[in-house]
Amino acid sequence: MQEYSYASDKEINKSLLKDVLGMPKWWLAAFGSLLLVWLTGMGAYGWELNQGMGVTGVNRPVYWGFYITNFVFWIGISHAGIMVSAILRLTQAEWRRPVTRAAEVLTLFSLIAALTNIAFHVGRPWRLYWIGPYDFSRGIWPNIRSPFVWDPSAVGTYLIGSTLFVFIALIPDLAAARDRATGFPRKIYAVLSLGFRGTPRQWKLQAVAGILLSALVLPVFVSVHSIVSWDFAVSIGVEGWHSTIFAPYFIIGAIHSGVSAVAMLMALMVWLWKWDKYITPDHFDSIGRLLIIVATTWFFFFALEWIFALYTMESAEIALREWQIFKNPMGPLFLVFMITSYFIPVPAWLFKKVRRSPMGMFITTILVNVGMWLERFLIIVPSLQRRSPLEFDWGSYAPSIVEILLVTSTFAFVGMGVLLFAKVFPLVPIFDMKEGVRLRDEIQVGRRSVPATIRE
Amino acid sequence: MDGKKWGMVVDLDKCTGCQSCVVACQSENNIPINDEPLFNQRRAIEWIRVERYWEGEFPNIKARFIPVFCQQCDDAPCEPVCPVYATYHNSEGLNVQVYNRCVGTRFCANNCPYQVRFFNFWEPEWPESFHNQLNPDVTVRSRGIMEKCTFCVQRIRRTSRDAKKNGTSVEDGDRALNPACVNACPTGTLVFGDLNDSESNVAKLTESELHGDHGRGYHLMEDYGTNPSVIYLKKVDEDAELEEAHH
Amino acid sequence: MSDHHNNQPLGFYADNPEWTTPESINEELVARHEAKSKYFKPILLALGVGVILGVIGLILRLVDGVSDTSKWGYTAAVLAFLLTTASAAPMVAIAPRIAKGHWRRIISRPAEMWSAAGLISLLLFIPMLWVLPSLEDGRRSLWFYHPGEVFAYSPHLWMTLSLVGLVILGFALLWISALPDFALLRDRAEAGSKERKRYTWLARNWTGATGDWIWQKHRLGIVGALYFLMLITVHFLFSVDFLMTLVPAWIDALYPATHAVHALQAGAATMIITMFILRRFCGYKEIGHDQFWGLGKLMFALSLMWFWFWMSSFMVYWYGKRPNEQQVLELFVKGPYLPLFYANFILVFVVPLFTMIWNFLRRSIWGPTLISVSVLIGIFFDRIRVYVAAYSVSDQSAEFHGIKTIPPTVYPDVADVFIVIGAITAPILVYMLISRVVPIINIWEQKELLLYKLHKKYHRATVMVLGKPE
Repeated sequence: MQEYSYASDKEINKSLLKDVLGMPKWWLAAFGSLLLVWLTGMGAYGWELNQGMGVTGVNRPVYWGFYITNFVFWIGISHAGIMVSAILRLTQAEWRRPVTRAAEVLTLFSLIAALTNIAFHVGRPWRLYWIGPYDFSRGIWPNIRSPFVWDPSAVGTYLIGSTLFVFIALIPDLAAARDRATGFPRKIYAVLSLGFRGTPRQWKLQAVAGILLSALVLPVFVSVHSIVSWDFAVSIGVEGWHSTIFAPYFIIGAIHSGVSAVAMLMALMVWLWKWDKYITPDHFDSIGRLLIIVATTWFFFFALEWIFALYTMESAEIALREWQIFKNPMGPLFLVFMITSYFIPVPAWLFKKVRRSPMGMFITTILVNVGMWLERFLIIVPSLQRRSPLEFDWGSYAPSIVEILLVTSTFAFVGMGVLLFAKVFPLVPIFDMKEGVRLRDEIQVGRRSVPATIRE
Repeated sequence: MDGKKWGMVVDLDKCTGCQSCVVACQSENNIPINDEPLFNQRRAIEWIRVERYWEGEFPNIKARFIPVFCQQCDDAPCEPVCPVYATYHNSEGLNVQVYNRCVGTRFCANNCPYQVRFFNFWEPEWPESFHNQLNPDVTVRSRGIMEKCTFCVQRIRRTSRDAKKNGTSVEDGDRALNPACVNACPTGTLVFGDLNDSESNVAKLTESELHGDHGRGYHLMEDYGTNPSVIYLKKVDEDAELEEAHH
Repeated sequence: MSDHHNNQPLGFYADNPEWTTPESINEELVARHEAKSKYFKPILLALGVGVILGVIGLILRLVDGVSDTSKWGYTAAVLAFLLTTASAAPMVAIAPRIAKGHWRRIISRPAEMWSAAGLISLLLFIPMLWVLPSLEDGRRSLWFYHPGEVFAYSPHLWMTLSLVGLVILGFALLWISALPDFALLRDRAEAGSKERKRYTWLARNWTGATGDWIWQKHRLGIVGALYFLMLITVHFLFSVDFLMTLVPAWIDALYPATHAVHALQAGAATMIITMFILRRFCGYKEIGHDQFWGLGKLMFALSLMWFWFWMSSFMVYWYGKRPNEQQVLELFVKGPYLPLFYANFILVFVVPLFTMIWNFLRRSIWGPTLISVSVLIGIFFDRIRVYVAAYSVSDQSAEFHGIKTIPPTVYPDVADVFIVIGAITAPILVYMLISRVVPIINIWEQKELLLYKLHKKYHRATVMVLGKPE
């Protein structure tokens, strides 16, 4: 049953550093095609900058469209890293080890992708720095009452925290890479590894820093998506957004889509880098179980949101809900969203066979993320279309080609980021894997052998 | 200057839906020309719009008109959400928009329940022959920023300044003070003035219609608690349910 | 007890060093179960007096009639308090059991036994069926009820079903979990004795065959999961139909979840206090640092969560400044119950946050206990604040979009005080009575731990290896 690896340290070093020191054949092709998609998107952005926001599909009253949807989506994905690394580290779940870094790297790049969406979205991106506490000649500080000032603070803190988190966990591996690299890369690794030589004191400091950061980054983790949800929930102008449940609902939704994205990445790691020795069906099994719980909690909050929307029986709210589920094109989208985010994946995960197969997890988790993207869209756009009692101003929205290209480009950007990272740094934490091997044991119970952990 | 609180009364009983206010506003405030494609894109900018609702079934159908423009709320939902203080409340009860500060997040527009905030999706353009028609007192807004009804703040400023220079005070109902829409209204639907001056028309109407026992006055979408400076007077009609619905 | 080995603190994974064989565990725990303390009866009597006071209080309340809801606020509050504390305590056994946390083993039974307190909730709930105002004045309901329509859309029906379900599931959980222990007690009792008969009846045909164990483990998992779901349902229904619908304009989609999160926090606090009493006064020294440490961490996390959930609701109402939402805040937070709100906020969030962040305190026995007391008092204040306020709102019509007048503070009268005393003593009485029948430490789970635990040499240190069965 249990297929955790018992590879020797040497083997781990060799196989995990292989693609960092060498160059896998498929890498350039993959990176190149993603770059192409990204550049197309940037071209579209240039067009938008040149022409104005008119080239997008937003209008009155649908002032927020694809970009904000995409922003929320990527912020959601960014919750994967901390969920998997910090929470699973603090709760000492052993299966986290091979995937922590991939999850953190995903966090990093999805946060940057989310921030670029803000630049796509605003009318005058060249003045966007005014949102920061940058007081130069204007003599005006940002308005701290605005959720749009809380947003950059929270996201910025999260970005810095996650970067530190990735870096701290990377130091021993950088040292390992330094010891094996030659020439110029060796110098770079030498600088980055901060003189790590593996002395007991260095290990202790590294471990303490990791645990401290896990604990400190957790409140930030919660605040980020809560604040993003308050961008919507505090508005009184949009009936469909003004709900107290938004903060926990967004967080659990973020964990749902984030952890799904990690599972998807795990499948890719097995296929592309052939790390099936380190990422085994057991790991997929564990993340699948976690996902069942997360998805069901998410569904509970989803149901609460709907129950209390209908409970009000206010005409504006009923009109919105009717629009969301019965009318074209929102109705079919709603159906797709429901099926893909819950009703296909969760029943599928109940089967051990699906949970243990990379392909099964890959397909279901992609479905989840399609569904969760649509979830954000269905919260943001229909609510704006049916936003207030003034029926005269009900509106419509269709994304333009520019928006579609730009949204696509963010996916390419995150893909490029992860690929680039994996080219330069080991994507599976080497030291963590070795530690896992050391702490692993087995206990004979009758005729069965039960996996066991040495208690630290 | 101190102690002023500008307000407006809209008597729906007098409104015929003729749209002269809309035209007057366009020309006074340098609003870009709203052509058909722009309307189809739902990106037309109308600081004041006349909403039309149908009541009843054909042939017993009635058109109901309600002019909607910035309500200059005392507790304006648009103000706290602006990250750069592009919109704030001034000392005369006006909810003002500072074009140069705006970065175009469009958050204010989402948080305005009246939907009277407009975004410049395109760079505004006028035909060559229109260039001399632009009002020199009003900024031409570039793309990427929000704008909305100002109660023609340039007219308020000019009259106040002139009055100060001449040592007089601003006269209630002065055509130079009134916003363009008020001057253009043929039926006297719109009344503008200082709500703090108990002698002004708006203050008297507010006193009798909003605070009086059998008044017709109400604030648009009062439930939102925005405390608008605009008071609507109900249509005198036994079946005027539509306005009632917004009460 | 001899000195413990391996330099590990006593109570490390319920590690009594003398418990090395199943026989020694049986011997010791059965002996402790059968031992009788001289304090048992006096305490029982004292609790009995409390229960009698509660009954008197309830009768006094009933004499006043059920038409004036404001008189029943305290009864509703204490009922909610029971659902929040005692009924949630079994989660401490259920959740770690599903997550295969070994530290639960010694406290799983004390946690499950709290489910018996559901009986008292059920009794208190009966008058509430009549107290709940009729829907005919246009009051909102979760069930979109309109007078004269189908009976199935009734708050009374669903709440009763779920509460009865919770009690049945609680007893089922306790029974299934105790089955092997009942069988043990049956086999050890003298033939023909009273105990023998009792345990033969309770243990049914348990023989300890593999099939029996598979059946028991399976049911334990399912009933545990169902208990959790039912607990959430009960909190959802009670917090909506018996609380939120009474206040016009209080449309807080998060509140049912908040109510349930309070329950998880208070359930952990209840268990920490129970553990302290068992350790300090009943001689179960095996309940030790691991349990206090584990639950302390959990309570710390839940205190943070308390703030987050509260903030999420408060933020949206406060920022939006809509008049009807301001009135709701005025009623519950800023208005007549402000001191209770402050007390609630400090005891449930501020105190745990600034104390439990301190490792020294979290590792101790008395630290988490004192903070649990603080949390329980805070939650009690919270329940009073919310329920008494909601039950005192006079005009509950949904037609009106807000509260017409903020009602003044309702102070408890003698009957309320008696009811509160009764409602708190009665579950403890039930708990103590049940502990005479059900062994308070899970004997079979202790024996099971022996299979999964191993001490071995690792380089120069001796370490403990813990198995995690699939």
